[in-house]
Amino acid sequence: MLGFSRTKWVGVERPDPETFFAHGILEDNIYGMELDVWVKTPEFVITRLEGKMRRVTTPVCEQALPVLKNARGLSINSPDLISTVNRKVGREGCRHLANLLLECCDAIMRCALYERWGELKKKGAAKDPGAYLKEQLKIFPGLQNHCRTLFNA
Amino acid sequence: MLLSYARNKHASASDRPDGDLLVKAAVQETFFAAKVEMVVKIPDLEISSVEGVIERCFTGECRQTIPLLQQVVGLRIGSGIIKLVNNFVGGPHGCPRLADLVLECCEQVILRYTVEPLGEILSKKGNELKTAYQEFLTQNPRLINSCIAFAEGSPLREGIDAES
Repeated sequence: MLGFSRTKWVGVERPDPETFFAHGILEDNIYGMELDVWVKTPEFVITRLEGKMRRVTTPVCEQALPVLKNARGLSINSPDLISTVNRKVGREGCRHLANLLLECCDAIMRCALYERWGELKKKGAAKDPGAYLKEQLKIFPGLQNHCRTLFNA
Repeated sequence: MLLSYARNKHASASDRPDGDLLVKAAVQETFFAAKVEMVVKIPDLEISSVEGVIERCFTGECRQTIPLLQQVVGLRIGSGIIKLVNNFVGGPHGCPRLADLVLECCEQVILRYTVEPLGEILSKKGNELKTAYQEFLTQNPRLINSCIAFAEGSPLREGIDAES
């Protein structure tokens, strides 16, 4: 028998060239919540957040929504992002909302890292994924030690 | 406006006939797709087996990290698991996306065993609900200060000290 199920979905839009906008949804047997996050380039700073709690477990949970403001001004490029969000949005607010925020931030980072590849492909200029990543690391130097592929790029 | 990027992540825990748990996590996104499946021994909460596959990735090199998954076999889901999984599977020589799927699986195990007691609590109203939460917190002290509902000043934490 299925004892528990959780789905998280994130979509990223580019409303203008300087903005990434992520809409995230978390649904599981216990919780249901949504989050909108705006990130400005070139600093990749969180400028705005709006959350909604659809299904929670206590009458206090909704008080975690205003705590989202603690994430305003954070850079999604920061090596401390996960610990800061877990502490300032999770422990001080809701850890499931913090989890969804980190999912949105990671989705924006992936989108930013790979979006030029799609453009190059359309032009028929996408040749070597390794060389592409090496170029992108100049924009995101903090990702150099992120994983095996980026480390070896 | 079309989406520039989409991610769908799903995780679940199901009871096996032998009493252990089968836990699965999968992610599908624009540039990456992978899944991890593990069996967790009950009541020890020990990871007894794990399998994973990277179905789609930006460079083929990502797939070379799959054998690292075996290092989580034998770990107990509990305090310290996040650091251990990130060290064994993630990091500059591993794949943080695979580590993340292992940790999603671990989270499902914890939530799987939270559903029933929470259901009991939520069937109560008013003061009975408050008392049920206070009992829940006394039995699960690790939850004290874990979120705003269980922070100092919350009505659900009345009469419960952080040290209790």
